[in-house]
Amino acid sequence: MPDAASPLGVRAPLSDVVAMLTQAAGESFIESAACDDMDEIALRPDGLLPVVTALREAGFNHLLDIGGTDHHPLSPRFEISYIFTAMPLGDQRDPHRLLNLKRMRLRVFPDDVEPVVPTMAELWPSADWPEREIFDLFGVHFAGHPDLRRLLNPDDWKGYPLRKDYPLRGLDRGFVPGGRGGAVPPVRES
Amino acid sequence: MAVTQDQPFVLTKLDEFLKWAQSSAIWPMTMGLACCAIEMMSIVSPRYDTARFGAEVFRSSPRQSDLMIVSGRVSNKMAPVLRQLYEQMPDPKWVISMGACASTGGVFDNYAITPADTFLPIDIYVPGCPPSPDALIYALMQLRREIRAGSKAQVLAENA
Amino acid sequence: MSAGLSALVNNPDLTLSPGDDQDTLVLSMGPQHPSTHGVLRVMLRLDGEMVLSAEPEIGFLHTGIEKQAENLFWQQAITVVDRADYLAPLSNSLCYVLAAEHLLGIDGQIPPRARVLRVMFTELTRIASHLVWLGTHCLDLGAQSIFFYAFEMRERILSIMEFVTGARMHQSWFRIGGLGIDVPKGFLERMDDFIDRFPERLADMRAIVEKNVIIVDRLVGVGKISQQEAIDWGLTGPPLRATGIAYDVRRAHPYCDYETYDFDVPTQTAGDSYARFVVRLDEMSQAWRIIKQTRDRFPGGPVVIDDRKIVPPPKTEIQHSMEALIHHFKLVSSGFNVPEGHIYQAVESPRGEMGMYVTSAGGNKPWRVRWRPTSFYHTQALKRLGPGNLIADLVAIIGSMDPVFGDVDR
Repeated sequence: MPDAASPLGVRAPLSDVVAMLTQAAGESFIESAACDDMDEIALRPDGLLPVVTALREAGFNHLLDIGGTDHHPLSPRFEISYIFTAMPLGDQRDPHRLLNLKRMRLRVFPDDVEPVVPTMAELWPSADWPEREIFDLFGVHFAGHPDLRRLLNPDDWKGYPLRKDYPLRGLDRGFVPGGRGGAVPPVRES
Repeated sequence: MAVTQDQPFVLTKLDEFLKWAQSSAIWPMTMGLACCAIEMMSIVSPRYDTARFGAEVFRSSPRQSDLMIVSGRVSNKMAPVLRQLYEQMPDPKWVISMGACASTGGVFDNYAITPADTFLPIDIYVPGCPPSPDALIYALMQLRREIRAGSKAQVLAENA
Repeated sequence: MSAGLSALVNNPDLTLSPGDDQDTLVLSMGPQHPSTHGVLRVMLRLDGEMVLSAEPEIGFLHTGIEKQAENLFWQQAITVVDRADYLAPLSNSLCYVLAAEHLLGIDGQIPPRARVLRVMFTELTRIASHLVWLGTHCLDLGAQSIFFYAFEMRERILSIMEFVTGARMHQSWFRIGGLGIDVPKGFLERMDDFIDRFPERLADMRAIVEKNVIIVDRLVGVGKISQQEAIDWGLTGPPLRATGIAYDVRRAHPYCDYETYDFDVPTQTAGDSYARFVVRLDEMSQAWRIIKQTRDRFPGGPVVIDDRKIVPPPKTEIQHSMEALIHHFKLVSSGFNVPEGHIYQAVESPRGEMGMYVTSAGGNKPWRVRWRPTSFYHTQALKRLGPGNLIADLVAIIGSMDPVFGDVDR
């Protein structure tokens, strides 16, 4: 498993990275943990931008994923998880040098009632769609996002499906003629 | 098709000819939604070869196709699109609902998936997840029998 | 530095707004279109045939798999997880099963036979998926005959899958604790037959396409992306390896004993569609190498762990042991509990890094199964790759990114 003495592409040993991020987070820091898969830091949304900037300085340049979780009925209920990898550039064709790359996870816990998180879309173009998806499925707003609208569900969909208080079968089960965006029941001639 | 008393001989023969022509060259539309689409592509592969039935020409344009094979799960956003495509197809047209998801919702009993028969008239339902290409070819054969016989009831009557 | 999104949005040339230039056309390509590889709509702003901006619109296959998985037992969720990236179902289940096994703490106990079979079948799935890619991509470019070669070979693989697991696609064969069922008699002969046939067939297919002047003309220089941009847009897998970074999850974060197998990670440096093309062709050869090594190893032994609280007992035992009957009943009616925790598990699917961030709340159903969808990021990259190309080139680019919309929309 990862060797803290010579991590590839990361300019400081991993424990220093966590310490540096804790400092960058300041008051929004909640806790940090070293899980089996990677280190993680839990924080509030206001500390996200400084922490992410610090992460980028440390060499974590590849945003792998932004995901959402709803922990209802626990509080804080929404968790937005960011997973980063430190990807080296240049001629990296020798896979023996790309072993055990470092990863890092941030878990951001916004407000329960009106969840707002700053957007990563300015820093990484790849963050555009995951944030739209989290807005679509959880209702978390991303402040500063250029085009925050639904991604996977139809534009006029009501409710946020992946929240725990949204029923599995949806709010309006049952066929409604003329509903569902214009799909109409079949009329069979002859 | 039996000669009935109130239909002249020539028109009956013409009718038979038309039904033979329609059933021998059913052109499906490239309506591939999900996993079933891969099995639908496999029916033109060398092993299952629908070219022998005249059905290997998948037309992309609904205006040029006879058969819509709803191959895959139908989500809320896609349902109106499917309805519009169905309305764009010229008569005579048929619809095969391929797979469990298109027929009844399948494995997915949730807010996002709707069965195809809530907004399309379906001629043949094919069970399976995904149905093997053999099953789809069987459905195609069944459709051909239906076309030649005139209707589903006629097929059942003939096979009773 | 990467291009900030606001720079793109504020650029009037790249913003879709109707009617401000009489010569441009706004065209909706899809969602029913032969060459979008599934249900994708790309809103194109065109000047003649030149794409000025391409805005992909997804969600036409949104199935609610993640929500469905939260309402099924841990073992049952394997069935819905299979159906996301439907060209590589075993990769999906491998990722999920590894995550669940880690949360349960049994990932060190999986028997060697199960691990070898998992690798063997995941690599078979990789070849099967790449064959579909090859057939459909070349079909988009107009080369129809290679489709038949590729699908004929794929039929052999699917026959083996059906022989072992009972299903051609969506096998649901990897289970938490090992495999669903052991391989039947006659499997090794069929595997040897495949291993003997495949290299020659792959060589035939490569001879048709790899140096083909039309394929080269249509793909070289099309959809070029630099390393920094590939990282900014979240690309992994063949699109990233085509820019010169040999990032492969099997090497970077090994699972299932991949560190003990001898294989190369094919890489190119050009970063265009042709580079991605060659990378995937080379990956098929490497996958064959791994399959050969698994065949040579092929240990005996059980295929499931020996814990009746997680894995049901064999059916023969249920008939004469009360305890086995009770275990079976408990597992079928209420599943097993997975300790609280969360993990991000990634595997190298044929498309790239496919990951799952699985959260368990200690119950018998997953609390949250967050997909890290590979094709999602690759489809998003069309916003960057589309502009500046002809429509025909856009079709080639979509094919070279190889998106699967079950993975994008879930």
